[in-house]
Amino acid sequence: MKRNTILPFYLFILLLFLAACTETVSDAKQEMLQPRIYPDYLGVSIPVNIAPLNFGMTDETALCIDAVITDSKGHNLHSQGDEAVDFDIDDWHTLLSQNCGDSLSVTVSAKYDDGWHTYRPFSIYVSPDSIDYGICYRLIEPGYEVWSKMGIYERDLSTFDERPLIENTQFEGCVNCHSFNRGNPADLSLHIRGPHGATLLRHDDSPLMAYNTKTDQTLGFCVYPYWHPSGRYIAYSTNATSQLFHSAHRNRIEVFDTASDLQVYDVEKNELLLSPLLKQDSIYETYPVFSADGRSLWFCAARALPEGSHQLDSLHYNLCRIDFDPATGTFGNQIETIIDAEAQHKSISFPRPSYDGRFLCYTLSDYGQFSIWHHEADLYLHDLSTGESYPMTGANSNDTESFHNWSTNSRWLVLSSRRDDGLFTRPYFCHVDAKGIVSKAFMLPQRHPRLFYRDRFFSFNAPDFIIRPTRFDGQKASRIINDESRKNFDVRQKE
Amino acid sequence: MKKLRIFTFHFSHFTIEVLFTLLFGVAVLLFFGLAYPHHLHYQEQYQLFLFDSNYVREIVRLPGGVADLLGRFCTQFFLFAWVGALIIALLLTAVQLLTLQLFNVQRSRTEPSVALQSPFNVLSFVPSFLLWLFLLDEHALLGGVWAVLLTLLAIGGIMLLPKGWIRRIIILVAIPIVYWMVGPDWNGSHYHRYPTVFPTLLYAAWLSAIILPFIIRACHRWITVSNRSIVPFISLMVVAIGFGWLVWKNANFKAEKVMQYDFMACHQQWNRILQTINTEKPNNQIGVTVQNLALAMHGQLVNHLFDYNQNGILGLLPDVQSDATSPMPTAEAFYQLGMVYVAQRTVFEAQEAILDFQKSGRCYKRLAQTNLIIGSYEVARKYLIALQKTLFYREWANETLPLLGNEEAIAKHPEYGRLRQWVYKEDTYFSDHVTPEMLEDLYFSNTDNHLAYQYLMAYYMLTGDRERYTKLLQNTSNKQ
Repeated sequence: MKRNTILPFYLFILLLFLAACTETVSDAKQEMLQPRIYPDYLGVSIPVNIAPLNFGMTDETALCIDAVITDSKGHNLHSQGDEAVDFDIDDWHTLLSQNCGDSLSVTVSAKYDDGWHTYRPFSIYVSPDSIDYGICYRLIEPGYEVWSKMGIYERDLSTFDERPLIENTQFEGCVNCHSFNRGNPADLSLHIRGPHGATLLRHDDSPLMAYNTKTDQTLGFCVYPYWHPSGRYIAYSTNATSQLFHSAHRNRIEVFDTASDLQVYDVEKNELLLSPLLKQDSIYETYPVFSADGRSLWFCAARALPEGSHQLDSLHYNLCRIDFDPATGTFGNQIETIIDAEAQHKSISFPRPSYDGRFLCYTLSDYGQFSIWHHEADLYLHDLSTGESYPMTGANSNDTESFHNWSTNSRWLVLSSRRDDGLFTRPYFCHVDAKGIVSKAFMLPQRHPRLFYRDRFFSFNAPDFIIRPTRFDGQKASRIINDESRKNFDVRQKE
Repeated sequence: MKKLRIFTFHFSHFTIEVLFTLLFGVAVLLFFGLAYPHHLHYQEQYQLFLFDSNYVREIVRLPGGVADLLGRFCTQFFLFAWVGALIIALLLTAVQLLTLQLFNVQRSRTEPSVALQSPFNVLSFVPSFLLWLFLLDEHALLGGVWAVLLTLLAIGGIMLLPKGWIRRIIILVAIPIVYWMVGPDWNGSHYHRYPTVFPTLLYAAWLSAIILPFIIRACHRWITVSNRSIVPFISLMVVAIGFGWLVWKNANFKAEKVMQYDFMACHQQWNRILQTINTEKPNNQIGVTVQNLALAMHGQLVNHLFDYNQNGILGLLPDVQSDATSPMPTAEAFYQLGMVYVAQRTVFEAQEAILDFQKSGRCYKRLAQTNLIIGSYEVARKYLIALQKTLFYREWANETLPLLGNEEAIAKHPEYGRLRQWVYKEDTYFSDHVTPEMLEDLYFSNTDNHLAYQYLMAYYMLTGDRERYTKLLQNTSNKQ
């Protein structure tokens, strides 16, 4: 008797499940326009090894969405769903590998109350340039000064898998400033703030060590790390940072320095290398990066504000460089201004040279160095062979584009953008070819993109490529952090 | 005849025990409903229970997650203090009854005849009283009570099984399952909002519930009680008076008063605030802040400022601290004044400061409102969609969502329309400290902002700035 009652119930549930949007698209009205989908993947270029670009209709009144991807050889891939299409991951990768260097055509149909609508197909170009294994980023709520749960995470770009490296539930404090040597997590620098403040370093896959990077000859703790291509040096800045908040402005927060200097850390000798040219009181120096050949140190520099001044809109950072000799760890005798942003009443932040030495990507905003909170901030590409700079129109939007990094083959850029809702930063990717032509940026794929990004109240902070899983032992790292023992940075004495 | 007599005896004893349990439950209900209601409101506002599979999965994947989830589920009802009090009463009563069941299971094996008539049964109230003491702390989480309850259920269930290899297998299987359901996780929930606080009372309750049955069993072997009908009553009185005194002694009624002011400000009960301050003038910072806001909302701040206790300019708009509690009434004042960006920052920071990383329905609601007022509709939508997944904020979210992007409807809205008119017209920088210039900018950018006028006048009065006070007064008189 009991079985007789339960069986129809399960059959009903099964039928409901099967009935959940598994229909043949029929009697569809043919639309002349291309579909409006979320995320916007229309006409994007993607790497051959990227995870499936699942999407839904921007218009949430759609009852069902259907997508068929076809290639020029007659292969196709089909998916249908209530809220979004969810392509089979293996079939997706097979299709992409069969169409490397070719375009795919995507036909989308959506069912509304009045029936099916089929839209004009759009294309996706499969670039033969592959992308690195994954990206690493910090997840944090886009707040002001206080932080809640946060952590550093890695994401496999060919799947949807995300894994925490370390979270602040494991210790008291916050994590930031993670950096790898050209995407290789064998060399790692990770900064911890708070009562257990430290910089964790791993060189050539050696065990993690916690350092106290503050010395009596530098301003404070070392931040904004960038590895020298040899792996022997790390460029850091030290910043006395403050914050102010806007009372009636789209840009909610101003993060600014009241002093900042640069230094390079010699990993092998445990020494900070200083130069009087990089620690001038009248200049704010920040965001140091090494050139692809390791013989230049690029950085942003601005004239310091008078003490106590809050004329933040008069802070304009230029792009500068100084020679660096990796053999001796010595700096050149003069600073060269590469891009005079001050003359344009603009400001440069986050310079990132491509690893092939062709380009340098930077963020241009109206003023200051923390362009993350500036809605006008856009990405620019500086051609190192011609010295010309131009906006990365394909990658930019009407909202903030800020932090970014190159893939190890220098063909992909991961960039942070607030274009989705104006506040929560999401990672996007764009292709940059050898001529500097920039493709339209596409959002980091998710299995259920709308639900994922809507439910997640975190910003993706400082995304950087990784060429393999980091193999970072978070439990061990938290033990090291919670242990008070720190190795001090030394400073190289003048010879 | 003999059978009947035994039945009568057992029935009367059973009745007394039921009466004791009922009395206990009613005492808990009355305590939390009458004496401690704002502690329950406080608990509710520092969590956001979502009917969402991801939310549930994130909680239950950790050890203790099931207890934590059940605690959070129940805590959402604390928005209504009497419902919260009833839930606590039921939970603590259930703990007592399960402990009593363990006593009886233990003894019925050795002394079946005295299973229901032990004078030591009164000790079954000890874990519940300890949990009551635990819950006096506003940072104690209800998941802890569920952890004790689930442990007792598991032990009670196992004890009912006949001895043998099946029971041993079930014990082996149950241990990891029970640990997953209730075991504390030091990286996650350990039933106290402060990550560094060890909830001693909770562990004492948990241990007492497990150990007491064995102690009782030993007592029955070694102690003979002659008059069993009087001793239970006396022992109950001792336990009730002892623990009752402890509960009353450890209850934080000062905090309750502060929480009451915060609650009234949160729910904009301006009349009730005035009634309360006229009964007893507040002398704590939050109380004074709320008092001044309520006076201003009634247009009485300038005339009656010195009729009440003041705390200098910090009683008007205190400096924002980096904790989850103290900034909330100040944020309410910022919001009502039209300092919407300042209110937004203050509320956001307060929510971020919640120590166990939870979110807050109150904060989400306010952040949706501030984002709506400043025109960040997509951000407001994000908060509203999250609130749609709650039990008690859903209706409000459903009503507010259609306002997004509807400029006309927002302009006509009695609250949002007014605040849009009052917001700063010129951008300036602010930090943790409110300056008179900020209030001046606010007032002079819209002289209809009577709240800003009152706060500015009060600021001059509290700082003794006669010159600016007179100037503003003249300015207003000329305007009239």
